[in-house]
Amino acid sequence: MSRKRPPGVAWRPRRSARNVAHALLTGVLRDGRSLGASARGRFDARLDPRERAFAQELVFGTLRHLPRLEAWLAHITPRPPEDAGLRALALLGLYQLAFTRVPSHAAVNTSVELARSIGKSWAAGFVNATLRRFATERDAIERMELAAPARLSHPSWLLAEFEHAWPDAWESIARANLERPPMTLRVGTDRIARQDYIGALSKRGIAARATRHSASGVILEAPCPVERLPGFDDGLVSVQDEAAQLAATLLDTPQDGRVLDACAAPGGKTGHMLELGADGLELVALDNAPRRIEDLRKTLSRLGFTARVALGDAGKPRGWWDGRPFDCILLDAPCSGTGVIRRRPDIKLLRRPGDIDVMVERQGAMLRALWPLLVRGGRLLYATCSVLPRENERVVESFLATRADAAPVRIDAAWGRPTGPGRQILPGDDAMDGFFYAALAKR
Amino acid sequence: MSRLDILHFPDSRLRRRCKPVGTVDDKVKRLIDDMFETMYEAPGIGLSAPQVNADARVVTIDVSKDRSAPLCLINPEILATDGEAETEEGCLSVPGVFELVKRPERVRVRALDRDGRSREIEAEGLLAVCIQHEMDHLDGQLFVDYLSRLKRERIRKKAEKAQRHA
Repeated sequence: MSRKRPPGVAWRPRRSARNVAHALLTGVLRDGRSLGASARGRFDARLDPRERAFAQELVFGTLRHLPRLEAWLAHITPRPPEDAGLRALALLGLYQLAFTRVPSHAAVNTSVELARSIGKSWAAGFVNATLRRFATERDAIERMELAAPARLSHPSWLLAEFEHAWPDAWESIARANLERPPMTLRVGTDRIARQDYIGALSKRGIAARATRHSASGVILEAPCPVERLPGFDDGLVSVQDEAAQLAATLLDTPQDGRVLDACAAPGGKTGHMLELGADGLELVALDNAPRRIEDLRKTLSRLGFTARVALGDAGKPRGWWDGRPFDCILLDAPCSGTGVIRRRPDIKLLRRPGDIDVMVERQGAMLRALWPLLVRGGRLLYATCSVLPRENERVVESFLATRADAAPVRIDAAWGRPTGPGRQILPGDDAMDGFFYAALAKR
Repeated sequence: MSRLDILHFPDSRLRRRCKPVGTVDDKVKRLIDDMFETMYEAPGIGLSAPQVNADARVVTIDVSKDRSAPLCLINPEILATDGEAETEEGCLSVPGVFELVKRPERVRVRALDRDGRSREIEAEGLLAVCIQHEMDHLDGQLFVDYLSRLKRERIRKKAEKAQRHA
């Protein structure tokens, strides 16, 4: 006999965190879908916040350590399954055994259950045997000598890029990319003092401390769903890494000038500039993808700001520029994302070696196209979340070599290290994401 | 322990009369364990052997919210009934259907327990309903048999359609 569900509860059973994690991981492994694209809606719908956090931890963690997990899987079974769904299942199980506090019997049993629930009952025995074998031989398997790509869980071409760029730091960059990043907030300091917000958090039992370099930043001791953050819906606070929070202060936004945010979505830095600027500030927020424009609008409306939002390509101002120059331009250029791999571990899987050259080309083109839009005496901030000099100081240097009216502005800061005309933060520096900033003044 | 597949209405195997259990041996005990696991996972509050395609007069029941009151009846017999009450019933073999069924309000039942000892139980409320519902299964009877023919036919058509699309 069965009991009727209380009213309001859907008849269809809620999907478990592991089910959702498996679907997402399969999407990345089989179809090369980016997590951002396939996670849309999946994490929110039909999962309560705790389950959602667990699903996220499973997918991100598995992707973070994927090459290593795959090496272990290959060691345990001479012929790892070709079926992407089954591979995802085995890898998720191995991740739970090796990197989480899920008890091993639970990791094994839930994986076998999962195999059944996705119609792969035929593979239940394989999943069971593989995971049990790892659980019993764990110490030996984990101590196995692995080549750098598997040991550091990065594709070899990317490690080669790191090593070439950072002969002394490449290994620590790769290791930092495997860490779980902190959840960092930006407090709307135009509405509440940072210290007061930390107090409001602690009243809710959320432990937090002030960031070292950003004057508006707060680092949570443990991640928590945004719904629990006081005033999140009212735009009192946003989620943003400390490194990204440095952009608005570096730009030295005038109180009432005209500012262009050239690749604005999802609007983190846009919102920050508006928080710091006065009412007279006129901001144009540009992005080239309609879907991302939607995110941008949502951010702005949550924060309660109005800005001119424009759809267009930063490299082709003719399509969207009204001819009036800007006092300030932020060019947060599209890049490899190699500085934020700890937040977007799918980058390691989805980027291809040839992508970087294409990025470099676009970055240079955007810089050249936007420069004429800047008033004399104005300032442009070039930013990326990359750790590759090719996308950073090299792009700025070759631009400077062709423009007599452009001069680098020295950034005096306690964070990062000077690299050419700019400053580089490596991932994990003071718990920050990897970022590059270069400020340019127009003579 | 393992989870068993639950047969769904209108499967004809749900219509068989089950044989009494001779001795409560290890095989029967394993069936009982598997039935509890299957019932809890479903999730359900009662399960009978024919629902998992086993020909034995065995039912498992737990009407508590926290799995704290497992009850297993082997070869159950109703000794006495009393009163009348209408309860909304559902069945793991007829998923998604809940209908009012009129039954005696209290029952006294004799059955063997998991250790093969004879016991008498008095039950009322949901437990009484559940015991009767599961005992019906042992004789090939389903709760939809208490409904009007029109309703039963509609449920059967819906179930057949759902199974074709599964």
